[in-house]
Amino acid sequence: MSANAAAARRRYWILAVLSPLTLLALWALVTAQGLATPMILPSPLAVLASLGDMVGHGYSGVDLATHVLASLRRVGIAFCGGALLGTVLGLLRGRVAEIDALFLVPSELVRPIPPLGLIPLFILWFGIGEASKILLIFLSVFLIAMVNAQAGARACSLDALRAARSMGASRVQAFRFVVLPSALPQIMTGLRVAMGTALTILVAAELLGGDRGLGFLILDASSFFRTTYVFAGIVLVGLIGLASDRAIALLGRRIVHWEGKR
Amino acid sequence: MTGAYTEEPPAGRIAIAGGAIRLGGGAAAFEVVRDIDLAIPPRQFVCLLGPSGCGKSTLLGALAGHLALARGSLALDGEPVAGPHPERGIVFQQHTLLPWRRVLDNVAFGPKMRGVPRAERLAQAREFLALVGLADFADRYPSELSGGMQQRVEIARVLINQPRVLLMDEPFGALDAQTRLMMQEVLLDIWTRLPTTVVFVTHDIDEALFLGDRVLVMSARPGRILEDIPLAFPRPRGRDLVTDPDFVALKRRCLDLLRPRDGRPPLPRLTPLGLPLAGAA
Repeated sequence: MSANAAAARRRYWILAVLSPLTLLALWALVTAQGLATPMILPSPLAVLASLGDMVGHGYSGVDLATHVLASLRRVGIAFCGGALLGTVLGLLRGRVAEIDALFLVPSELVRPIPPLGLIPLFILWFGIGEASKILLIFLSVFLIAMVNAQAGARACSLDALRAARSMGASRVQAFRFVVLPSALPQIMTGLRVAMGTALTILVAAELLGGDRGLGFLILDASSFFRTTYVFAGIVLVGLIGLASDRAIALLGRRIVHWEGKR
Repeated sequence: MTGAYTEEPPAGRIAIAGGAIRLGGGAAAFEVVRDIDLAIPPRQFVCLLGPSGCGKSTLLGALAGHLALARGSLALDGEPVAGPHPERGIVFQQHTLLPWRRVLDNVAFGPKMRGVPRAERLAQAREFLALVGLADFADRYPSELSGGMQQRVEIARVLINQPRVLLMDEPFGALDAQTRLMMQEVLLDIWTRLPTTVVFVTHDIDEALFLGDRVLVMSARPGRILEDIPLAFPRPRGRDLVTDPDFVALKRRCLDLLRPRDGRPPLPRLTPLGLPLAGAA
């Protein structure tokens, strides 16, 4: 790496770290100046104290770790299932006209419906247990993954496919060794978007009753005006989002090592 | 040289009779080439020369088995061509190397598809990389190579399948003039060492005359073969051939044949599916 590139990289990281610190400082400043009542915007230290309290004593009689794990489990199952199924179906839709025709209208009918609008329906159909929470997240992830995989599958050039077939690849082999890798950059981008959406839906999905999970924690705290706990819960969701996004992005760069070098 | 290629020499005799290819569907269907009667003996180097959009690439697509004839017959060594097959390898103008695989693995793609064990196919790939002069680049990725080198890798990954016919669709069309000349000599050098029939599509008269045993000049669409010109220039051929009076005379004849008739404008280029690109000249 040249000295110039190293300097650019250092500058990148300085900015990436400074920006959240600045926001934090601004937050602290606003609360220290008394510009907002603690009920509406508690100070960062108060939020940290609540977080500490939850780490030590849990929330509403349940360990904080249990809350976090309950949420992670829901998102994890829904994300893996939705990503897998959506990607497979999207790739097939991108390459097989008949499959695309089968799924076109149903998926485009469902896609614009806000997931929150489906909550009453899901309660009716699947009750207020784990199933409806996971399925709600699953649906969103599935649709995003499918759209991206489909677009990715079409990114592959006709010549590349023909060349592969002329080198002896069967249709299935051409799909596996040419179409799938060509689609990976777009698939990975889709998965990042889907993960962000999954966490958004999580909080809403945990509206569907239950007594654990970060979404439950946030909603419960807000109904008792325990604003510092609401913030602590939001911070935790945010941190999980940041960590999962970085993990997927890093994984993506590993898998799609050729991107941007063509 | 390459041990894998020394067994019984593959033949590679191409026969087309009354061949016509239609593209597009329904009312929009049109005949791209028609009345193609052609016999190419094994190991011949044939250049298809024609104006843009005359259907020479379409004809090559039919030879590769990516397009079907609407009429007539097309056979390789007496067997009708039905679908793509590694015995008819094709090289396009833009390389189709897989950017996520090393050069060596790209060359080993065909054997991998046939289930050749890894060690064996990588050894084969090394041989063919050496054949195109890129033995030292086995571990690079395609993006790390120049345009000319990428096309050499492409040629190696087609030849590793020991095709009876090598189909080339303006393979050097995207290269700069200097590299292009160099690649022509590289190709001739490789071809003299392998028992392969070559059908080479180009719109560059010099290229066709320099490379071929025979040049087929095609008319504007619907493409037909206007003239079948045998080239008797001795091999190996050097660059000074292009100033040879016979070469110049043939070049003049080709220019005459390719000149648009009746003042008609040149035809639009065909897309890979054969249809004119909207808005493209």
